Amino acid sequence: MPVPILKQGDVLIASIQSGLSDHDLMELRDNIAEKLGSFKSLGVIVDVSMLDVMDSFATRMLCTIAETTRLRGAETVIVGIQPEVAVAMVQLGLTLNGIPTALDLEEGLQFLKASIRGRG
Amino acid sequence: MLDASFPLDLERLQLSPHDIERRKAFVGLQPEDVARIRSIQDIFLPNADRYVAAFFDHLAGIAETAKLSGSHSVLEEAKCLEHEHLVAMMQGDYGKDYMEQRVRLGMLYSRAGLDVSVLLGGFHVLMRVLGMEVMKHFAEDPTKGFDVFMSLKKIGFLDIGLIVDVLIAERERVISVQQEAIRELSTPVLQVRDRLLVLPIIGVIDSMRAKQLTDDLLLAIRTNRARIVVMDVTGVAAVDSKVANHLIQTVAAARLMGATVIVTGLSAEVAQALVGLGVDLSSIRTLNDLQGGLEEAERQLGYKIVPIDDSTPAIEPA
Repeated sequence: MPVPILKQGDVLIASIQSGLSDHDLMELRDNIAEKLGSFKSLGVIVDVSMLDVMDSFATRMLCTIAETTRLRGAETVIVGIQPEVAVAMVQLGLTLNGIPTALDLEEGLQFLKASIRGRG
Repeated sequence: MLDASFPLDLERLQLSPHDIERRKAFVGLQPEDVARIRSIQDIFLPNADRYVAAFFDHLAGIAETAKLSGSHSVLEEAKCLEHEHLVAMMQGDYGKDYMEQRVRLGMLYSRAGLDVSVLLGGFHVLMRVLGMEVMKHFAEDPTKGFDVFMSLKKIGFLDIGLIVDVLIAERERVISVQQEAIRELSTPVLQVRDRLLVLPIIGVIDSMRAKQLTDDLLLAIRTNRARIVVMDVTGVAAVDSKVANHLIQTVAAARLMGATVIVTGLSAEVAQALVGLGVDLSSIRTLNDLQGGLEEAERQLGYKIVPIDDSTPAIEPA
């Protein structure tokens, strides 16, 4: 099941709804890269609040998405990591170093708005 | 406080018929031992009171037994149970009832705070008195007397083993109750401002507590929508590499949820210990004390503290 990507002003929002296959994740990565170009977005929010597990592949894909987005001149925020998921990720050493995180979609939007405003 | 009247935990003390047989095997109790003891019960039973008195006279002379000797009711109960003990010992039926009597006696001694070493001393006095009685009775046939005494001794050791087990089990129970109490003094997560939490950590952090602490903090971050957490470790006297790792993991997990953690109150010793251990805390923002941490957090959240007006000093001069 592909992940819908919504455009909200300067920001793209991808809300992951359920456990995704590796293929879906790679598709998400490609779609985000593509839409960044067509909408000229400045930020990407990936909402993972519905996920109750996050494996190393998913984490790597998130890092790839963030890095790709950065290269295309936009910023990525991962939002909605649940407490149990956070503990499990840390224990696996998956700390998403260098990628901004936020509590939920609202916080993520606020963060990107401030960040985009900062860029002028 | 501790519940002294909890039901006898026979399961934990292993008093199934099989275990009782095992215990008898441990001391090498044979049917002929029981027969020997029964053969002398008529001589011993009338004097049981005297033997019990010898045991308690000995204990009374020892300072460590103040709690037992000090309470009249406890002492009377102990004398009564010890008398019952001697009578049962002579009757030679060492089944479940006998074992449960020993457990009751052990519980009483445990309640009275009797040390194992003191108890062993008392028991030895009792065995000596019994031994002297036996030898007096078998003065013309010391070999037989010695056999009877050895049989008695087997029972004595059977009893001691059980009573010591009870004392140890009781002590372990006290320890586990106290551990539970410490766990219940869980670390509170306090909200001091909108989006700002304070987590004061006091005492020793073991891995169990560290896990609970992390879980509580992450849940509180979600519920209170916290953006900054000030973790104050002033009350943590010692930090080893394991605890430091837990702290790092907690900070990393909080960051994944979009919250920044500021650690405050690392004492000079703790800081030196951490550097000595080579723990890499460079990913963690640390500040001197809780006040500094709160001020920094407020700054990051965009708060500014100002006096209400110029005429009101922020702090009344002493």
